[in-house]
Order: sequence, then structure tokens, then C-alpha cells
Amino acid sequence: MASPATPATAPQPREKVLSLRGLELAFGDNRVLRGFDLDLYRGENVMVLGKSGSGKSVLIKCIVRLLMPTGGSIEVLGQDVLALGQEELDHLRVKVGFLFQSSALYDSMTVEENLRFPLRRHWLATSAGEADGLVEEMLGAVGLAHTRKLYPSELSGGMKRRIALARTLILKPEIVLYDEPTTGLDPITGKEIVELILKLQRTYGTSSIIISHDLHVARLAANRIALLHEGRKYAEGTYDEFRASQDPLIQKFFIFM
Amino acid sequence: MKGSSPRPFQVFLTEAGGFSLFVSRFFGNAFHRRFEWREFIRQSVQNGNGSLPLVAVTAFIMGLVLTVQSRPTLARFGAESMLPAMVAISMVREIVPVITALICAGKIASGMSAELGSMKVTEQIDAMEVSGTNPFRYLAVTRIWSTTLMVPLLVILADGIAIWASWVGMNMKEPVSWQLFQRQVFDSLALGDVLPALIKSIFFGFVVGAMGCFKGFTTAKGTEGVGRSAHNAVVYSSLLIFIIDLLAVQITDLMGLN
Ligand SMILES: Nc1ncnc2c1ncn2[C@@H]1O[C@H](COP(=O)(O)OP(=O)(O)OP(=O)(O)O)[C@@H](O)[C@H]1O
Ligand SMILES: [Mg+2]
Repeated sequence: MASPATPATAPQPREKVLSLRGLELAFGDNRVLRGFDLDLYRGENVMVLGKSGSGKSVLIKCIVRLLMPTGGSIEVLGQDVLALGQEELDHLRVKVGFLFQSSALYDSMTVEENLRFPLRRHWLATSAGEADGLVEEMLGAVGLAHTRKLYPSELSGGMKRRIALARTLILKPEIVLYDEPTTGLDPITGKEIVELILKLQRTYGTSSIIISHDLHVARLAANRIALLHEGRKYAEGTYDEFRASQDPLIQKFFIFM
Repeated sequence: MKGSSPRPFQVFLTEAGGFSLFVSRFFGNAFHRRFEWREFIRQSVQNGNGSLPLVAVTAFIMGLVLTVQSRPTLARFGAESMLPAMVAISMVREIVPVITALICAGKIASGMSAELGSMKVTEQIDAMEVSGTNPFRYLAVTRIWSTTLMVPLLVILADGIAIWASWVGMNMKEPVSWQLFQRQVFDSLALGDVLPALIKSIFFGFVVGAMGCFKGFTTAKGTEGVGRSAHNAVVYSSLLIFIIDLLAVQITDLMGLN
């Protein structure tokens, strides 16, 4: 089968853009993360797999410090995330895109205003015309140019996800954290989103962590897969390695995908 | 509900502590150089417009009713000529500021906490945060400043309406010229009546915005939490309005302004 989209091979002298060491997080007695390690290299897509409630969303929220881990260290683009002051953190957050599982569109704003919102901080740097162009470009990329003036309540779930994706990518972040980008979408739209992620990876050398249960994502987009189980990294490898694995837990995931 | 619910005193302490922290966080951010003017103006217009009709109608009715009802009592003491002064003073000093603030607590504080609460539970506030915009500054600071400005403005407007309504009430019995009535009112009102009431209204406005935002930002997960926050925002801000009113009367008394 001629596959139009394959993961770009990561460039050789591999620059580490993100590194998690011994990450721990507990909500009261609920120890969600219990020493999780992960590295992400420039231009690479890492997929994180795990059962529902295993702490995948919590994990990427720690990376942008929406949640404060109770232990461990996080380094992003050479900076110690947990030690940053507010200003530096805001600066770093602009370089790290975050796609929420719930889309999290601002429902008092139109689609266009949603996309413009992340640009506000760069208002002086980006002229009104440039901002307009960016909005147009991103809406075109997710195929929803006609929704510009609509409010999120007027969109379907899948359309919301695509707008959220456009909003995440409008600042051309160096690292993108995707929380289930294709879940709940029809297979065709899902595949389009995977292709968009790949295009981004190729064009801008974006590095991504993709949380997903989607076979398309595993097969087409992931350079590497990490399995989160009981708060730790249970296994790590390529799609083919996971496919061939005899481990019962890994096999279980692939049966259902 | 499972588990033992916390005792009222504990709830009070947690809420009071949380609110104090929230208020100090506001002052930490209130004068930041990157002020969100657009959001501030949008909020001010929206809150002002939204409460204006209700405030205006209430002020009109209050002014009219108080006038009509006080007349027989004053007449019994042969002090009917004091009617404009009495109504104006009680309206401007106490009734209008408190009623306006209570209306705003019911309308603005509950609306704010519901809006911010649902933004919280649908992760919109988190989304703002990761896009590098400080949600506290963008959402809370602008809203608190806007009510701190708008409530006193609404009070001034409502004062005018109440006084005019009082004149309408006077005319229901026998015609009085607006000029005469106006002179009687303004002769009786001293700066010591108007200024404390205005300062008090500024605090009322602050409490309405701060409580609305505090309850919104601390909304617990779920849509049920949004409803409870809105409810609590109204109850707590109304209570604070009365407490401030009580403190204000003590302070003006000490300063010899009563
Ligand atoms: N704010 C929070 N407060 C308390 N517990 C939380 C909070 N957020 C998440 N949890 C708990 O952390 C655990 C992991 O949640 P998380 O949302 O990361 O799961 P997930 O792996 O993303 O699941 P899914 O695939 O269903 O999205 C769950 O047990 C959840 O109850
Ligand atoms: Mg999740």
C-alpha cells in the first residue's frame, strides 16, 4: 500500500528538546505518576499510550506547569520548567503548544477571536494584517475557513477539535503536546489530522508528544511509542517493535486498536 | 452525600482565608503595566448596561414609595416641608447605595462566577494560561476594576432617579415646582452625606467583582459546582455589603459626619 504519509526520520545529531526524570504526582492518596521518564528529541513524534485514567493528561499538564508535580524534574528547551519565574514560564509556554482533550475553546469568542487570542501577546510584533493572514492560513489548514464568524457552540465536536488544533498551532510552537487529537472524530477527519501533524513536523521540525489510542497515529505519526502504566513508563519502542512484542499488556493495547 | 460535611466554622475560615489571598493577589496584579484595557472596557459596558434597567426601576420605585409613605408621619409632626430633605438624605446616604449594590451582587457577581466557573471546568482558563496570557490579570483584574468603577457610577445615576421619583411622589398629592423641590434637596444635602456614600459604593463595587471572580476561579469540577459558586457569590457578597455598610456608619460616626 502506498502510504502518503510516513513519519519523517529524526535528524541525526539528536538534540534533546524535552526530558522528564522521575516525574511524580499525587492527588491525595491517588499516586498518579510514580517516577515517569521520557525524552523527546527535535523533530520527533512520541506517542504516549495508556489506559483511561492512567495519568496521560496529567503528565502533559505537568510539562506546561498547569499541574505542579510532587517530585522529579522537567527540562524543556534547556530550561528547568519547575524553577522558572512567571515571566519566563509564559515565554516558554508560547513555544510549547497544548491541545486540550476537551478542546477548551473560549465560548464567548468567535472562531476567529479564538485564533487571535494566542497572538495577543505578540500584538506589537505581529501587525493586524499578519495576524489576519495567520488566522486564514490556519483555518485553511484545518479546512474550516467558512467558520470564521461562528461561535464554538455552533460547531460540532470534531470541528471544535480542529479549531482547537489551529489555535494551538498558530504560534508555530517548537514542541506540541497533543491530548487525543483524533479521538471522537470520524476516520477520515482523524486521518486528515494525522497528516496535518506530519506536515507540521516536516515543515517546521516540530517535536510532539501525542496522547492517543488511535492506530493511525501509532502507525503513521509516531516515531516512538511509550506505554504509561501504573505511573511509570512500562515500555518504549517503535510501532513495529510494539506490534511484534509478546508482552501481554502491550498485546492487549494492539488488539483493541 | 457521603462523608461528614465540614463544620460551618471551618467553612467560614477556609472561605475567608481563600478570599483574603485572592484579594491580596488582586492587589499584586492590579497595577501591572500590561493592563487589559479592551477587556476592562468590554466588562464595564456589559456590567453597566446589564444592571442599569433594574437599578433604575428600583431607584424610581424606592424614591416614590418612600416619599408617599413618609408624608403622613411628617404631616403628623407638622414637618411636611422636611419631606424632600428627609427622602433625599435617606436615599443618598443609605438606601440607594445598598440597594444598588445588592442588585449588582445578584446580577453581576452571580453572572461572573457562573461565567468564570464554567470557563474553569471546561479548561478555558487553563487554555489561556498555556497560551502565555495570565488569566488572573486578563479575567479577574479587569472584572474587579470594572465593578469598582461601575457600581459607584450606577449609584450616582440611581441617586438622580430616586430624587426625581421623590418629586413625582410629591406631585401626587399637590403640585410642587421642580425648581423649588430641587433647591430644597440640594440645600439639605451636604458633602458629608454624599462623599461617604460614594466611598462606600466603591467598596461595594469592589466586593461584588472580587467575590464573583473568587467564586468563579475556585469553582469545583462539574456543572453542579458552577451553580453552587454562583449562589455562594451572591450570598457572600451581599453579606459583605452589609458588613461594609455597618463599618462605614461607624467610621462616619467617629469622624463626626453623621
Ligand atoms: N485535578 C484533579 N484532581 C484530582 N484528581 C485528578 C485531577 N486530574 C486528574 N485526576 C486523577 O488523575 C488520574 C489520571 O487522570 P488523567 O486525566 O490524566 O487520565 P488519562 O490517562 O488522561 O485518561 P483518559 O484517557 O480517560 O483521558 C485519574 O485517576 C484522575 O481521577
Ligand atoms: Mg486524558
